[in-house]
Amino acid sequence: MQPAEQTVAGSTDTGRSPARKRWDTTDLSLVAVFAALIAALAILPGIPVGPLGVPITLQTLGVLLAGVVLGPTRGAAAVLLYLAAGLIGLPVFSGFNGGFGVLAGPSAGYLVAFPLAALVAGLLAVVVLRRTRRFRVGLLFLACLAASLLTIHPLGIAGLMVNAGLPLRDAIIVDAAYLPGDVVKDLLAAAVAVSVHRAFPRLLGARARGAQ
Amino acid sequence: MRGFGSTLGLYEEGRGFLYRTPLCVKAAVSVGCAVAVVAWRSPPTTSAVLVMALGALLTGARLSPLRILRMLLPAAPVLGILGLYQGMTQGWLRAFVVVGGVAACLLVARAVTLTTPTQALLDGIVRLVTPLRAVGADPERFALALSIMLRSIPYLAGLFVDVREAAKARGLERNPRVAVTPLVVGAVAYAHRTGEALAARGLGDHDDRGEKSDAKSAGDIGDDPSLDHEDTGTS
Repeated sequence: MQPAEQTVAGSTDTGRSPARKRWDTTDLSLVAVFAALIAALAILPGIPVGPLGVPITLQTLGVLLAGVVLGPTRGAAAVLLYLAAGLIGLPVFSGFNGGFGVLAGPSAGYLVAFPLAALVAGLLAVVVLRRTRRFRVGLLFLACLAASLLTIHPLGIAGLMVNAGLPLRDAIIVDAAYLPGDVVKDLLAAAVAVSVHRAFPRLLGARARGAQ
Repeated sequence: MRGFGSTLGLYEEGRGFLYRTPLCVKAAVSVGCAVAVVAWRSPPTTSAVLVMALGALLTGARLSPLRILRMLLPAAPVLGILGLYQGMTQGWLRAFVVVGGVAACLLVARAVTLTTPTQALLDGIVRLVTPLRAVGADPERFALALSIMLRSIPYLAGLFVDVREAAKARGLERNPRVAVTPLVVGAVAYAHRTGEALAARGLGDHDDRGEKSDAKSAGDIGDDPSLDHEDTGTS
């Protein structure tokens, strides 16, 4: 879960890139706290949305937030830490599940896809935050949407086919049921991320100013 | 939200042979069950793993059958739908194989965390990751991150409930943005405070590896009350 170790740079904050610099304690605890955030969102009851109040579970929201708030390396590390905690048996997955058994369950594909989703969302978010000052919510929304369409859904469908024994067509239908909720979560993640980056500009955004 | 940690289903005191079984044996059996269920999807495998899981919980941890059923309750909707689907399309035997296998794996995993003190679990993970040091992993930092994660969950869950109640008071409980934004901002702030607290104690930095080395397992920090922020409620 560590980034490359070749350069042990001092803890200067200007113009650093998380991939080249060793993590300091704040990076470490950001990763750990976001892993906890994903766990808290996954095990707590979902929020009722809209007039019908259909609850959306927030596990994937936490995953996308880790990516767009922390960036690709720390975000993916947070998700990997979360998965590691779940796999060794702590009941941090949706529905208080945990343990290697989930890899035999129908949602294994989604879990495997989560670190990749955080990575992709994080990479795109860094581009958005560095290049643009305006339309950030919309662009971050597209970043989240791309991440979930490129990683979570294909791997989720594959997991349904392998573990639940569904044929491809049925797996796509089952997976499609999650799409509307996912779009809502992507939008939510983007809106929240913009607020968080405004509150803590040095998380990822400060480098934008330094780079330009 | 004090006491939320206890609902995490971690360690509970009790008696039974599972409490005396070494962690490595329990972990190996748990992984073995998952591999067996996925590799051989057959009625005998599922029955064997299921019987073993139930037997371990009943005799090894001395849980009541009702308690075991309650453990499966959160996963019940997913398992039910999966079972119904498998039963209607591929026969009820197949449904039993798939659903029973998943349920058994969940129970076995729960048996491990229920009967192993959290500290022992963290130390076990450090031992497990130690061989990876050769490829650049750092087991102490990993355990440190894991213990920070564990102690953050109750804090964040409490924050989540508080924020939602505040949103409800303003009549905004249907607006998820109002509920989630303060939670994430609070999480980042909490992480910064924790990071500073760690730096102040010289934990988690790399330059200290020589002095500290293995004298103190990084997992110990999970029980360090001096690191508690105002209301984290680690129990």
